Amino acid sequence: MKVSELAEKTGLKAINEFRDREVEGVYISDMVSDILTAARPNSILITLQTHKSLIAAANLVNVAMVVIVKNRKPADDVVELATKAGIGLFTSGLDTWGFARGLTELGF
Amino acid sequence: MGEGTHRWFMTNIRDGYLVVEGCPACGARSSFFSTEHIPPVDEYQDGEHIWIYMGSFQAVKFDLECSDCGRTVDLGDMNGLMLSTCEDSGCEVGKLVRQQGAGSWVYVALCADSSHAERECVSREGITALNEYFNQDIEASDRKVVVVPCRLCDSIDRCRGIVIADIGLTDLYSETAQERRSRARG
Repeated sequence: MKVSELAEKTGLKAINEFRDREVEGVYISDMVSDILTAARPNSILITLQTHKSLIAAANLVNVAMVVIVKNRKPADDVVELATKAGIGLFTSGLDTWGFARGLTELGF
Repeated sequence: MGEGTHRWFMTNIRDGYLVVEGCPACGARSSFFSTEHIPPVDEYQDGEHIWIYMGSFQAVKFDLECSDCGRTVDLGDMNGLMLSTCEDSGCEVGKLVRQQGAGSWVYVALCADSSHAERECVSREGITALNEYFNQDIEASDRKVVVVPCRLCDSIDRCRGIVIADIGLTDLYSETAQERRSRARG
């Protein structure tokens, strides 16, 4: 499933321009050190974190998209960095569990 | 086995704290990785330096191992990674950043001694393995990760970049705790 299709099916709204590509897995973490060592390329990253360091780690791991839960909004410079990296940034009003449960219903 | 033929994975992953210290007398910066439950904040004298605690971040250390040949590269000399946003034309890292095309990213491997006066920087072998590791699964032809040692920075203390470290976690979770309390109160 592509990023755009997943966003549509889960009701996510993109907050930046992104490179549409296949999503191959899911990782949930609020710790960038954890993301660096355990997230896989082309995955969806679900997090509460909005710091720039998150994008630096997500880019290095080559995640496909970041879903920030509980309606938290990243600062403009974070959005700008994600856009430059081609990483789709999305926000969800759900909490981590609520959003992840929706993904399991989609077969993730 | 020749360069570029390894298949790396992270091994010996250690969680801990990146503790940053400074010497007020000479302005030198130093860092070390602590696996203690609470990062040490002691002030102490070491030769001509008086090291004072400046801050700490939750961080991680790891080594790389090749799944094909079993070779392990020790990255104990690396204390962290920083996405470089340096644009200084007088800095080797800044020059490298400016040379990169869209989709190409420069990360600086940070060693413990930013002055590089007494200790070596991240090893050449480590830098080679990091470059291979972070590029081995890239499919897009226009994407590339370049990892360089921090000794290439003109001044790591002034260098612009985003260090991959856990900043603001306490604030993050205190916010969510406040949200829970607000909801409970109705």
